[in-house]
Amino acid sequence: MLQEQVIYRVLTAALETGADFAEIFAEDKTSGRLEMVGGTLESSLSGRDYGVGIRILRENFSVYAYTNDSSEQNLIATARSAAAAIRGGAAGSRVMDLRRTVIDHRHVIGIMPDSSQKKRNIELMRRAHSTAAAYDPSIAQTKIHATNQLQNVLIANTEGLLVQDMRVYTRLGISAVAEDGDQKQSGFSGPGAYAGHEFLESLDIEEHARKASRIAVTMVKAAYAPSGRLPVIIDNGFGGVLFHEACGHGLESTAVAPGSSVFAGKIGEQVASPLVTAVDDGTILNAWGSLNIDDEGAKTQRNVLIENGILKGYLIDRMGSRRMGLPSTGSGRRQSYKFAPASRMNNTFICNGASTREEIIANTEYGIYAKSMGGGSVNTATSDFNFAVQEAYIIRNGKIAEPVKGATLIGKGIDCLSKIDMVGNNLEHGQGMCGSVSGSLPVNCGQPTIRVSEMTVGGRKGE
Amino acid sequence: MNIEEFQKVLFAQGREAGFTEMEIYYANGRSTSVSVLKGEIDAYNIVESGGLSFRGLIGGKMGYSSTERLDYESIDYLLDEAGSNAEVLENEEPEELFAGSGHYHSVDTYLASLIKTPPGQLIEAALAMERIALNADHRIDMVRRSAASVSESEVLIVNTKGLNCHRKHSSASASIYVLAKESKDAKETVTGGWFDFSLRSFDDIDLEGVALTGVREAVSKLGASTVPSDNYPIIFRNDAATSLLSSFASVFSAESVDKGFSRLKGKLGEQVAGSNISIIDDPLMENVPSSKAFDAEGSATARHELIKDGRLLTFLHNRKTARKAGVQSTANAAKGGYKGMVEVSHHNLYIAPGTTSLSEIIRETERGILIVELQGLHAGTNATSGSFSLAAIGYLIEHGEIVRPVNQITVSGNFFELLNGIERIGYDSRFIGSCTSPTLKVSSLSVSGA
Repeated sequence: MLQEQVIYRVLTAALETGADFAEIFAEDKTSGRLEMVGGTLESSLSGRDYGVGIRILRENFSVYAYTNDSSEQNLIATARSAAAAIRGGAAGSRVMDLRRTVIDHRHVIGIMPDSSQKKRNIELMRRAHSTAAAYDPSIAQTKIHATNQLQNVLIANTEGLLVQDMRVYTRLGISAVAEDGDQKQSGFSGPGAYAGHEFLESLDIEEHARKASRIAVTMVKAAYAPSGRLPVIIDNGFGGVLFHEACGHGLESTAVAPGSSVFAGKIGEQVASPLVTAVDDGTILNAWGSLNIDDEGAKTQRNVLIENGILKGYLIDRMGSRRMGLPSTGSGRRQSYKFAPASRMNNTFICNGASTREEIIANTEYGIYAKSMGGGSVNTATSDFNFAVQEAYIIRNGKIAEPVKGATLIGKGIDCLSKIDMVGNNLEHGQGMCGSVSGSLPVNCGQPTIRVSEMTVGGRKGE
Repeated sequence: MNIEEFQKVLFAQGREAGFTEMEIYYANGRSTSVSVLKGEIDAYNIVESGGLSFRGLIGGKMGYSSTERLDYESIDYLLDEAGSNAEVLENEEPEELFAGSGHYHSVDTYLASLIKTPPGQLIEAALAMERIALNADHRIDMVRRSAASVSESEVLIVNTKGLNCHRKHSSASASIYVLAKESKDAKETVTGGWFDFSLRSFDDIDLEGVALTGVREAVSKLGASTVPSDNYPIIFRNDAATSLLSSFASVFSAESVDKGFSRLKGKLGEQVAGSNISIIDDPLMENVPSSKAFDAEGSATARHELIKDGRLLTFLHNRKTARKAGVQSTANAAKGGYKGMVEVSHHNLYIAPGTTSLSEIIRETERGILIVELQGLHAGTNATSGSFSLAAIGYLIEHGEIVRPVNQITVSGNFFELLNGIERIGYDSRFIGSCTSPTLKVSSLSVSGA
């Protein structure tokens, strides 16, 4: 994308005012999105994003600049205007030896995305529509989208790194809306992978379509969830968004390094139930949140965050590494060249325990069974989190009883983690987009079925 | 290549490729922003970027594509992709480009001097706010972020039917986000923040006001606890009411209505809200950040009353939805940046303010909860059904007075029912984004707590 000579000269310009580190992140990304509404292909979009981000550090001070104009002249001018903010002292005089690193592309991509797959994708989307629409007479509308993305990045820095990577993402999203009189409810299923077109070909599309419709149909007929503090069973898969929100964000060095996370300074302490072991793993083959290298060029790795309830580690990017005096964990990520990198999650999950889902349900006299989760958010300073349940049921006398809608779960991170009193043996991963300081990123959230002995459930009392 | 040159080459090659009508939508922006942490500059961003969206009629269908790279290689990409995107479309509704409106209102949204605010002034401002906040109250544990920025942006739409619309926007802003604790060893941390902006000059921003309001927002939450689960009268302070309205604003889009994603379908002319509710979209307001003279299709914008005294008068339309409904476009064509298709969105949507102050509304509340912050809006609201269940932070009111802060609660209800149950409307609208609500009081909503 950029010639070595140009990179060298831009990095040299970036060091002119005394910075101790400079980095270039160049990106060339093409993406496509097809959207089908009610079985009709309503939109097909293609786009190319292209730009270069330049980051300059002096100790803990960071300057970030980006531009779409990758001419050498403009990149040097951009580097100089960014460097002007560094008022450190003598110009850096180091000789950079850019050593091109060839990375090991562990994630095999079968069929590269390109516009020749549009028609085949539309056939697959129509299958999703037909199955979702035929599921129940109450299904009034469907919305299916298929997206693909090919992101080429080049990362170079004044430590001599020069590396290129290619990321390929494919995702199918199925929404179904059920109507019952004046009531409307929607359900969603959105499988995705760090993979090419072969991912859609191998997907059980009908199963995902039925899931979206099942949620919509079940919820449109459901009464509102009860309110108050109850035991909550959160099913496997995307249920791991609980850990993502309640704990994961609070372990990112962006929050930990300045001391604005409740998990700061707690390494070695008991922060969760002894039943909880949690990992963030950026290396899982072809997983939605995986990467060969992070967006600072560091190899992704498997990071154990919590082991048997004891806090073992944080998620650290380069800036966090400087601030905390700990090595990077390969967790520097950014949505695009428009964002400076920050410590972020990849594929975060709670490890398997010993119970079966059936045992967990049978052991619960009264509570909520959150079968399918929506999204959530957290305030890392207070660890107050919330998330929405897409599909929920009442558990009564150890059995799944009637469905309930509109359940939101709230709590505080450490408090919630310590109340996990049963962990299943059926770990699965779900796919989501995680929004934070460095943009919106693909992440996996995973877990086996778990039970939290008590959580605040926000339903609607008296309806 | 500059944009004019790029457009000429693109249209010439497009004609050869078989496009009968073509349009570009070009947007770019520049900004300088600074944030400080513990007396030092934490981050300093200087950014400039732009992008271009192309659309063109080929074989009777409108194909779209976009790029951030303005070079010859991208021209081939844009035309190839727009062509293959048009080919697979199945919607039969015809689309056409627009030659432009006869008259455009003048909306003054740009000052060239704003982006030239010296970076040193932004740094000093961010440092000053941090100092003010730390000195204002010993319970401020940390200023997590104190930031200042200036930005400007422009939009250009040109097509083969003669449309040529151009606008520029500029603004300055200052913000603070603080963490407060009762004492160093206290377990409980609370957060709060504030921000202000100016469309005229960075000097107009009251930095001390931003810092002190941020401090007040945080420390007033110290000692919060939950409340018993029950139904309570709820006051949504203007900012919380605004975020709720934003979450449901898409229900007024004719596109949402047409596709069955809005419960307002078929309700034109009907009473859909209390007679005290009027909702207006006015892109021509002075000194409001989202004001603009033309929409994403180049139609001249105008003020529209969507709901008047509770009665639904119109949906928001672009040219395509208007044609389908047999009405005039309300000039609400919108694009999600330069990448998306032309969709429908509000420009400056607001609930008409009432006549009461927040303190009066509190005073006349025997028992209730004042909500100042709603969380999880992206997941906890369902625009299709109107239902919401959201984590909230606020204050308990007893006998007309705030008695203590409240957290770890959720508030649940339905937006459409809410519009029918508003008891009191404040006059405290704060126009800071594209959606604005004054303080709203409802007689009863379900609250989950202990």
